[in-house]
Amino acid sequence: MNYSFRLIALLGWTSLAAAQTPESVSEKDFLGDMPIVLSVSRLPQRLDETPGAVTILDRNMIRLSGARDVADLLRLVPGFQTSTSFETVAPLASYHGGFDSYSNRIQVLIDGRSAYSPYFIGSIGPGLQTVALEDIERIEVLRGSNSAAYGARAMLGVINIVTRHTVDTLGQQAALTGGENGIRDSQARIGWGKEDATYRLTVDRRADGGLVGSNGHNQISRINFRADLHPNVTDEIQLRAGSLEIDAGKGKPLNIDDPLRESFFGSGYAQLDWRRSLGEDEDVAVSLSHTEETYRDTFPYSLIPLGINDSINIEGSGRASNDTLSLQHTFRHGEALRVVWGGEVRREEVVSKPLYNTDAAFVTEFSRLFANAEWRLARDLVLNAGSMFEHSSVSGDSFAPRLMLNWHVAQGQTLRAGVSKAFRPPSTFEQYSNIRYFWNGHLLAVNTQASGKVQPESVRARELGYLGDFPWLGLNLDVRAFHEQISGFIRQQNTTPRDYANDEDFAIQGLEYQLKWQPWRDSQLMFNQTYTDINSSDQGSALAAPKLTSSITLFQKLPGGLDLSLMHQDSGTVTLQGANFRDQVAMTRTDLRLGLPLRFGPNRGELALVVQNLGVPYQDFSPHFQFQRRAFVTLRVEN
Amino acid sequence: MRLRFLLFSLWLAVFAGACAHAAVAVVIVSSERSPAYVEAAEALVSELERGGLSRYDMLQLTALEWAAAGPLAPKLFIALGTEAASALAKSELRAPVLSTLLPRSSFERVLRKSGRKSSSQFSALYLDQPLSRQLELIRLALPTARRVGVLWGPESQAQAPALKTLAQASGLDLIEATVGHDELLFSSLKSVLEDADLLLAVADPQLYNSSSIQNILLASFRAKVPLVAFSPAYVRAGALLALHVTPTQIGLQAATIARGVLLGKALSANPIYSLDFSVTVNEHVARSLGLTLDADALRARLRSREGLL
Repeated sequence: MNYSFRLIALLGWTSLAAAQTPESVSEKDFLGDMPIVLSVSRLPQRLDETPGAVTILDRNMIRLSGARDVADLLRLVPGFQTSTSFETVAPLASYHGGFDSYSNRIQVLIDGRSAYSPYFIGSIGPGLQTVALEDIERIEVLRGSNSAAYGARAMLGVINIVTRHTVDTLGQQAALTGGENGIRDSQARIGWGKEDATYRLTVDRRADGGLVGSNGHNQISRINFRADLHPNVTDEIQLRAGSLEIDAGKGKPLNIDDPLRESFFGSGYAQLDWRRSLGEDEDVAVSLSHTEETYRDTFPYSLIPLGINDSINIEGSGRASNDTLSLQHTFRHGEALRVVWGGEVRREEVVSKPLYNTDAAFVTEFSRLFANAEWRLARDLVLNAGSMFEHSSVSGDSFAPRLMLNWHVAQGQTLRAGVSKAFRPPSTFEQYSNIRYFWNGHLLAVNTQASGKVQPESVRARELGYLGDFPWLGLNLDVRAFHEQISGFIRQQNTTPRDYANDEDFAIQGLEYQLKWQPWRDSQLMFNQTYTDINSSDQGSALAAPKLTSSITLFQKLPGGLDLSLMHQDSGTVTLQGANFRDQVAMTRTDLRLGLPLRFGPNRGELALVVQNLGVPYQDFSPHFQFQRRAFVTLRVEN
Repeated sequence: MRLRFLLFSLWLAVFAGACAHAAVAVVIVSSERSPAYVEAAEALVSELERGGLSRYDMLQLTALEWAAAGPLAPKLFIALGTEAASALAKSELRAPVLSTLLPRSSFERVLRKSGRKSSSQFSALYLDQPLSRQLELIRLALPTARRVGVLWGPESQAQAPALKTLAQASGLDLIEATVGHDELLFSSLKSVLEDADLLLAVADPQLYNSSSIQNILLASFRAKVPLVAFSPAYVRAGALLALHVTPTQIGLQAATIARGVLLGKALSANPIYSLDFSVTVNEHVARSLGLTLDADALRARLRSREGLL
């Protein structure tokens, strides 16, 4: 929270409005020069020219989905497995396999800042909770390995969360949600400023009773601040700061290894971005950010079974932080070539006496150099070639190249083929964990002791894609066939003490597609299917993603402006993230949402009713936890 | 230093010319000597030369020089720009005056301030493009767009009724918002962008200027609502396309009119819009929005719609 307040105080001066004396229209308006605004780096690639499959969840879709957080929203993206459990800090989302209780093989970026948590074995769960849903402009999900552009953690994909520009959120807005399962969400936002400086402050809370059977009473509290400053026509400065607190109940009743208890995760960040346009075809951007995380989780463990009438504290608490400085240069050379290149230095620090048996900080320094070129070989042929060279002070050098060719076979018809290679260096925990239990200075047990021999795991991904747009049918198809060959998969070993090792090589292969269809006016139908085959020799990993998942979503505007959403998901047998290979379940879930737009004077709003999981409860995260029907009502107003 | 010498020689040449040709046929008064005015004047002069007039039959002055110049009795005065038109409007002249390289509202302001009415003695060739042509271009370039967003400011509001009528006739809906004096345009822009398929910019310096353009273009791009603008500078900045007339095109048409006057034809009492025009497209923006637009083809189709080809 401190970051936000300090920044606001700092910005209290606001900036001077450009005193523009209104003049009369003259030929000067027609003949005068204008600053370049949509310079090269501000123009995103078209979806049929990106080096990989991209699903975009925009603001409208986010609202219509009725989802209360990003992880739940990702159910709508082909290839994703999600959970709503807070057992491992925050709800999880993974692509092509939830291989364990954390999700560490995809990257999550919030306005360009990595929100991947380096704590434990690495996770994107808490990062997905960084900002209020109301502040999100869109979520770009880059399905497929993307390390050539986003570094090692983008091994299987990237979730790119883009928050709304402060110009678009001026005024006040508030929302209240209440319903079954103790759902109590509240959110308030204020946006202010003038032409050359606009600001936003959002405070929100998301709370519910969690999964049935869990020790659920989860509360997420957030505060986020963003400022967009235009000191002159060529420079743009953005400042962001915020904090996140997750208070969650965890554990299972009558389970001495995992008893009922409270856990806390807190994080804070500050980010400064500066972009200068060097002309129509060239600009540079610098980004500086700092993130801090704290985790608290402790419970008493009775020593009576060992014949000692006492107990010890078992703990997972600690803290992590990272600092990142990156520089990026984007330019266009003629009509055919567009290049983004740059570098990044990142320093990560993890401190946890309970996890590493030392008070010392484990520091990992990354330096990255990357270049990605979009080369228009012919009018209908685009080659995306890129690579990232990454040096880690702990695990050495890695090189992640990618080649992708997009061929516009005909108007609206694109074929895509490509290969890429990526690495994920082991996390601090996988490399150095050393969990020991002491009583009165006596070593009782060594739970985990990493040998440190683990090497980076790698993936070689090959894909074929097709994008078809049939405007006369109101239809749009996105198909991705993939073969992701993983080598040296890092897995926890069933040894005493526990260790991590490069365990096996296996392939994740399959096909996923998304069909978007507008069958009639004011409607949108989406149909997704994903076939996944994981040929791991480990039974749990082999079903880390279901063989088949299907989902169908209908958004329909009804008379009177009423918005109807119906979402149905059918997911085949899968290993639950928080369980072992014997706990495999299938699930179906149907959600309904009705939204009534409101208008009173200059104020607008919406009253929405959402019912999640209309059908029977399904098992989520653990066979002991169930997602039961949840109905809730949201009232949102803004001016 | 070199520039000053050049300007001095130019002035000398003009001065000498003025003395030597007290009875020139055409006097061209430019508001200033910046590139656009020079380009229009050059096109005008060369086209008249091509038609048989000698350079010595033409006299070029700036509005400032005009104020200091002695009596002249040409057959036609041509004003390039608002300041020049205003200077000529204040003078008692025997010959007709054609004002050009100025938009319609500037010409109308000149008329109001000088108490004149447009007539065959004081007429204009406008720099801005007729609204009907702009709507036709929108229909050609963005055939699926139905809702045209427009922001009106104090200077542009007068055109609102005309655009409404034209839009209705073309089957287009207008999504309008008015920005009052000293009002921030954010909320109006936001409401227009929410419902419109495109934003049609109508020149108004209170709304569209070099400090506001950044927010307008970024907000419209985020909303995937392309900006259809009135000058190529906006296209370079990031507008999807613009309909405009180049100073050369204005100069050429002004020369055609001037030739008619020299041959004894009267100026059209009603001011006219340019016959020729240009279409400029920002291909990068178009590509990013998933559009394929060919500026030359659009211009050709628009011209053929108007029976110009």
